[in-house]
Amino acid sequence: MAAANEKITADAIEATEFMELSRKYRVTGVPKTIVNETIEIMGGLPEKMFVRQALDMPEE
Amino acid sequence: MGLLSPQDEATLKAHLSPITIPVQLVLFTQAFGGSESGDVAKEVLNEIASLNDKVTVVEKSFVLDTEDKAKYKVDKAPAIVILSDGIDTRMRMYGAPTGYEFVGLVEAIIVAGTGKIDLDPETMKWIQAVDKPTHIQVFSTPT
Repeated sequence: MAAANEKITADAIEATEFMELSRKYRVTGVPKTIVNETIEIMGGLPEKMFVRQALDMPEE
Repeated sequence: MGLLSPQDEATLKAHLSPITIPVQLVLFTQAFGGSESGDVAKEVLNEIASLNDKVTVVEKSFVLDTEDKAKYKVDKAPAIVILSDGIDTRMRMYGAPTGYEFVGLVEAIIVAGTGKIDLDPETMKWIQAVDKPTHIQVFSTPT
């Protein structure tokens, strides 16, 4: 997503290496995605579902 | 001896072969007070770079290279900043890229090195319509 739009930055974070960050975002299972500190997505989702949730788009 | 078996090396080399755009992997590590994962990250990146002459590794100090750290907005180490022909792709990896993280790194390198993003056209439209800063953090583990 980051490569497709200059407004987007994407970090892949090794959860066990950065425990403080994992605690901050209550990462109890992976993958867990946090978008703009507010949106939380648990697990891996199909592409469209993931993008819709990450971009906070209304449900179809 | 490398991290990968000869067979895996051959597979990875083939996977990287479509790369036509130079990719720089800027690695920030902390020599003193840092974790061993910095050394692992360096080994992994060097192994990847050895399989494609368009992929290069640029090493930076998380402590001393403050200008670059600020430029790429790196706030923890080890960090991998992926550049496509010198341009920031805004993709970052934090921690040693092993296991599943290795797969993600390779895919990011291929995106940076080919300019091709393998997403559904409708999904691409949604992404390209984003007009406000959007920071995505994906937490995972190697296994």
